[in-house]
Amino acid sequence: MAKELITGNVAAAWGVRLANVDYVPAFPITPQTEIIETLSQWFDDGIMNGKFVTMDSEHSMVTAAGAASATGARVFTATSSQGLLYALEVLYTIAGWRVPLVMVNVSRALASPITLEPDHNDILSARDSGFLQIHTETCQEVMDSVLMAYRIAEDNKVLLPFLINMDGYYLSFTREPVEIPSREKVKEFLPPYNPTHAFFHASTPMSQGVAVLGGPTYSYFKYQMHMASQNAIEVHNTAADDFNLIFGRKYGVIEEYRMDDADYVIVMSNTFATKGKTAVDRFRDKGIKVGLLRLRLVRPFPGKEITAALKHRKGVAVIDQNISVGSGGIFYNEIASSLYNETKRPVMLSFIGGLGGKDISFIEFQKVLNDTIMASETGIVPATQLLYTESEWQQMKKLLEIAGKTRQ
Amino acid sequence: MMIRIRFHGRGGHGIKTASRIAGTAASMEGFNVQDFPLYGAERRGAPLTAYTRISDGTIFERGIISSPDIVIIADDSLIEDPMADPLNGADTNTIIIINTNRPHDISEGLAARGRVFLIDATEISMSVIGKGSAISAAMGAAACRVTGLINKATVEKAVVKELTSIGISSEEIIRKNVEVAGTCFDSLPSFEIITRAETSQLLTKTIVLPYEAPAISTPNVIASGNIIERKTGKWRTFRPVINYDKCNHCWICFVWCPDGVISLDDKEFPHIDYDHCKGCLICYEECPIKAITVERESSSNEQ
Amino acid sequence: MESDTKYKRLKDLSREEFILPGTTVCGGCGGLEALRLFHKVLGKNVVFVNAAGCFTLLALFPYSPFRGSWLYTNMASAPAGAQGVRDALDILIASGRLKPEDDMKVVVLAGDGSTYDMALSSTSGAIFRDLDFYYFCYDNEAYGNTGMQMSSASPYGSMTTTSKPAHLSTAGTRSHKKDIFEIWRAHKPPYIATISPRHPVDLSEKVSRSMQYKGPKLFIAFSPCPTGWMYDPSLTVKIARLAVDTGIWALKEAINGEVKHTYIPSKFKPVEEYLMTQGRFNHLFYPVRQDKILEDIREDINSYWEQYKK
Ligand SMILES: Cc1ncc(C[n+]2csc(CCOP(=O)(O)OP(=O)(O)O)c2C)c(N)n1
Ligand code: SF4
Ligand code: SF4
Ligand code: SF4
Repeated sequence: MAKELITGNVAAAWGVRLANVDYVPAFPITPQTEIIETLSQWFDDGIMNGKFVTMDSEHSMVTAAGAASATGARVFTATSSQGLLYALEVLYTIAGWRVPLVMVNVSRALASPITLEPDHNDILSARDSGFLQIHTETCQEVMDSVLMAYRIAEDNKVLLPFLINMDGYYLSFTREPVEIPSREKVKEFLPPYNPTHAFFHASTPMSQGVAVLGGPTYSYFKYQMHMASQNAIEVHNTAADDFNLIFGRKYGVIEEYRMDDADYVIVMSNTFATKGKTAVDRFRDKGIKVGLLRLRLVRPFPGKEITAALKHRKGVAVIDQNISVGSGGIFYNEIASSLYNETKRPVMLSFIGGLGGKDISFIEFQKVLNDTIMASETGIVPATQLLYTESEWQQMKKLLEIAGKTRQ
Repeated sequence: MMIRIRFHGRGGHGIKTASRIAGTAASMEGFNVQDFPLYGAERRGAPLTAYTRISDGTIFERGIISSPDIVIIADDSLIEDPMADPLNGADTNTIIIINTNRPHDISEGLAARGRVFLIDATEISMSVIGKGSAISAAMGAAACRVTGLINKATVEKAVVKELTSIGISSEEIIRKNVEVAGTCFDSLPSFEIITRAETSQLLTKTIVLPYEAPAISTPNVIASGNIIERKTGKWRTFRPVINYDKCNHCWICFVWCPDGVISLDDKEFPHIDYDHCKGCLICYEECPIKAITVERESSSNEQ
Repeated sequence: MESDTKYKRLKDLSREEFILPGTTVCGGCGGLEALRLFHKVLGKNVVFVNAAGCFTLLALFPYSPFRGSWLYTNMASAPAGAQGVRDALDILIASGRLKPEDDMKVVVLAGDGSTYDMALSSTSGAIFRDLDFYYFCYDNEAYGNTGMQMSSASPYGSMTTTSKPAHLSTAGTRSHKKDIFEIWRAHKPPYIATISPRHPVDLSEKVSRSMQYKGPKLFIAFSPCPTGWMYDPSLTVKIARLAVDTGIWALKEAINGEVKHTYIPSKFKPVEEYLMTQGRFNHLFYPVRQDKILEDIREDINSYWEQYKK
């Protein structure tokens, strides 16, 4: 099958087009704009059926998306960064409606200071909302994940909304060859959406999103969402098998790169994992047994699978491209708690790298590995460290000077 | 020593203030105190609860009181209201104070539920203020009295403090509330409280919540209009009664009943659904020929 | 342009109820009264999209008072929810997945706090997009559900729990009620009306008239609130009548932008008659009468009606 050279944004749009999505409420934000521009064009050209509508904010956009899905349509929307946070209240609301829409987040670091390049504090702010999450590394994976997301979200064992994450610039505006399947093949993989749990028909009146009073009722509905989310691991794996059969590409809830005999593992997510894989190759060339674990399905959190992949290693370094200010790396904490009850477990080191799109150079990977080896040998584990180089620091000092900041 | 007081009232009775009067008074007497109201979705007229804990030590409890030492019921219609269930958790040691004007109907059958004492606070309030509006002061004072721990003068100070804090500025109204509080205080004996450890219900066990398909576990309601199963008729203190000899079936009461509980029969005569009528009395106020009269609710017209 | 009137007298109203009793809203709620009358005209096949507020609790698990459908949304985005529902219904019908008879009228249900303040952006967007929907605002002139804090619909001189009369602010609310009718009208929707539960024929006729227009149809219902305005619930209808008779609440509509008053009292009653019925205006009369503020209120009413005298 021929491959097209397209950006991550266009790959997302292709996923939406192939999924026969009915409805796309939108609101622009860099670097997501290309997705909605592409879709708007396809609706206007009659290539897609249904409706594209520009809303007045992300808050409205996600409300409209949720409401349309609660009515019975297949819905897509996309945002980034400030937009996701602007809609955050609604994410929780519509997850509670149990509507299986799909939303792409193009990661971009959060203000302040305002910036354009990616890190993952935006998407991770939604981690407790009930949305499922897949974080992607390549343009192909973006398209494939959109299709898989509908299949998983609409499964009767799940019925929760889905967020697909791709890094701004590093995927959104990066062109790569992508294999675009035919609609017929997609139909085999993804049946139409016909909800029986939430819809609006005059002949079957329904009140949705009804208030509850009292902890037992609230706990019931909230915990059902949690169990449904956990079901998504099994549903993901079945969908991934079918996907592999039909399209010949196989995805796991995590990706294990050169991990078979690895003593040390670097954990990363999203596009910077590619940089990590390159570093792993170079370490391997030197004969060091290093592998990389890429987090893919982030909600539900595949704690069991991660534990199985990590528990017998000597050392694990988590590079978080996010920071919970005052606490540290978000994934580090989640992985550490998954491993906690293992009697044999590796030392675990926490690094913050790539904030605001800052590059992670080989020197920094070298530092990560050295520290990990050292810690596994001495048992002394350093506290969370920021990956930052001497030349970056020199450059930063210059900028501060220009900004009129003088040091004594 | 810990005394746990639970107040039951309807929105509008001011039982949050009552619980605070008790709290403030006990605090003034040097006790440790904790008070809090629990609001539901319900508005004016609907049942709600408030709680006061009084102790000579640190209070290591929070939230609702399920085994009260004292239950204060601001309106006797609450007794049979399943939403309010004011006697829940009371035992034979519990002191139960009920505001009622129908002592005979009430006292029967309740003795087994605790040490019951009836008081017509609404009447006391009516005679002092001309309205039944001093219920919070009355109920707060009643609670203080039966603890046997609080002086009358302290209760009066607490009434002034709490009423001022909710924005009542008229000295005369406050003075009259103090008078109502004092009268209620004097009309009750002080009891010996038999306190106990807070016992949570041990009759149940924990379970593992099963996963249920979204068709069940989505928070929506498919039974349209099923709210009719909730009876709001208990909210009434007064009931409207239609005099069919007078009624000229003009539709006015039907049109203006906010809750839509008046229906018209074949001859266009209006009928009030007393299971749901909230007793707002708009119909009474608006009937152009005064064919609707008002009666104070009592158990005798409940059939 | 005059269509034949359908509602001429009380007895033209439907005897069918669409919101069943048993709800948790206060006895004597003027907003519920207006909504009930409004619903009678629309009929059963509606889906309400309800912004957080008092009426969110009309449906309370496991109960619903509605014979039609209903959806809860956040306080700022009910019109966006209406957009999603309307669009989805259209899409499902056009693609043959929903029978045309399963279609519904989409109705935003929101309080004044949502309408005048938080949801203004999403309302503006929905009108701008010419969404085919009804908007029913029950205007109780404050944030009711949270306990009557000041909103931009709170009238000058009223007391709310965040604008209490005080030494430095004897008026209570110092700001003047936002003119949402004109804000809406600037968006050029086909139909806007103010309504009052005390004028059910006028109300019904307006709803009925609006139904012939496709696009946004907006209603602001004067909604006396015994709990927040501090009056006896039996007076809800009286207060609604006084609001109209004193000229403080104008009954009007704007069809394609053209404003017409649908009821003008032949002689306005003194506004004090209205104000004195409610505890929230008590401070204008006790302990001392605040003539300056009363004069300001009268002046507001006069200048409103002046602009419509030719
Ligand atoms: C984002 C957000 N902020 C605040 C609230 C709290 N809140 C719930 S209802 C309400 C009042 C709404 O007022 P209004 O729209 O006038 O409706 P009413 O309560 O009077 O019915 C507020 C402020 C909320 N639900 N959501
Ligand atoms: S308002 Fe009075 S006269 Fe008219 S129908 Fe009702 S009871 Fe009869
Ligand atoms: S008192 Fe009258 S108006 Fe009020 S709920 Fe009852 S019947 Fe309706
Ligand atoms: S507070 Fe006012 S608007 Fe809200 S339910 Fe009560 S009466 Fe109605």
